Amino acid sequence: MSTVIVLAPLIVAGWPAITAAVTAAVATMGFSVARAGVANQQFASTESRTEIEVENSEVLRGAAGTGQEIVVERDGVRATFTRDPRGALKICMEGKGHSKSDLKKIGEELLGRVTQQYVYHRIVTELKERNMSIVDEEVAKDRTVKIRVRNF
Amino acid sequence: MAHEEFEIEISPQGKVTFRTKGIKGPRCLDYAEVFAKIIGPEESRQLTSEYYEQDAEVQQHNQMKQRRT
Repeated sequence: MSTVIVLAPLIVAGWPAITAAVTAAVATMGFSVARAGVANQQFASTESRTEIEVENSEVLRGAAGTGQEIVVERDGVRATFTRDPRGALKICMEGKGHSKSDLKKIGEELLGRVTQQYVYHRIVTELKERNMSIVDEEVAKDRTVKIRVRNF
Repeated sequence: MAHEEFEIEISPQGKVTFRTKGIKGPRCLDYAEVFAKIIGPEESRQLTSEYYEQDAEVQQHNQMKQRRT
């Protein structure tokens, strides 16, 4: 082993790439996509609600993206992913009978999975472009993805 | 030249740990920098002894050069 480098992920992508990452990632937590399209946020007053701004993100402005949202649900918990006015990714968590801190915890876990999925896709795409081979890949119990790469 | 290998770990929060294996000298950083460009900023870096070793071909070249002078 010669070098160990830790990188902090940045999400910089157009809305289609964000949608793809969200769709793939949320399924691993038992969520399913309820709606994807033009934003139409309506909140029931009886539901708890909390928002998470994703600091290290930029949803690129484009024909597809502005004013769009993707809504995912699981057991009465709803997460709505949108692009905020500054261009960052935002998640709005709602759910009846859940505390704000519960919703925030679920939202942060969702965000982690989306980030992981996005990063995985970027890495695999880059490896293919550079003709590098993945010789082994596994998902550990803690859901860490491990990829071994060989450059011939 | 031996095959060059590296390992990439993506944590459930999306943090990436990049480990090079069998790549001697500063060239191992080239790979890491490629991924830093597409993933995000470097949070930490740990260089081990292999980093300070020279690749066999570079070493041979340097020895030949020294003999000539």
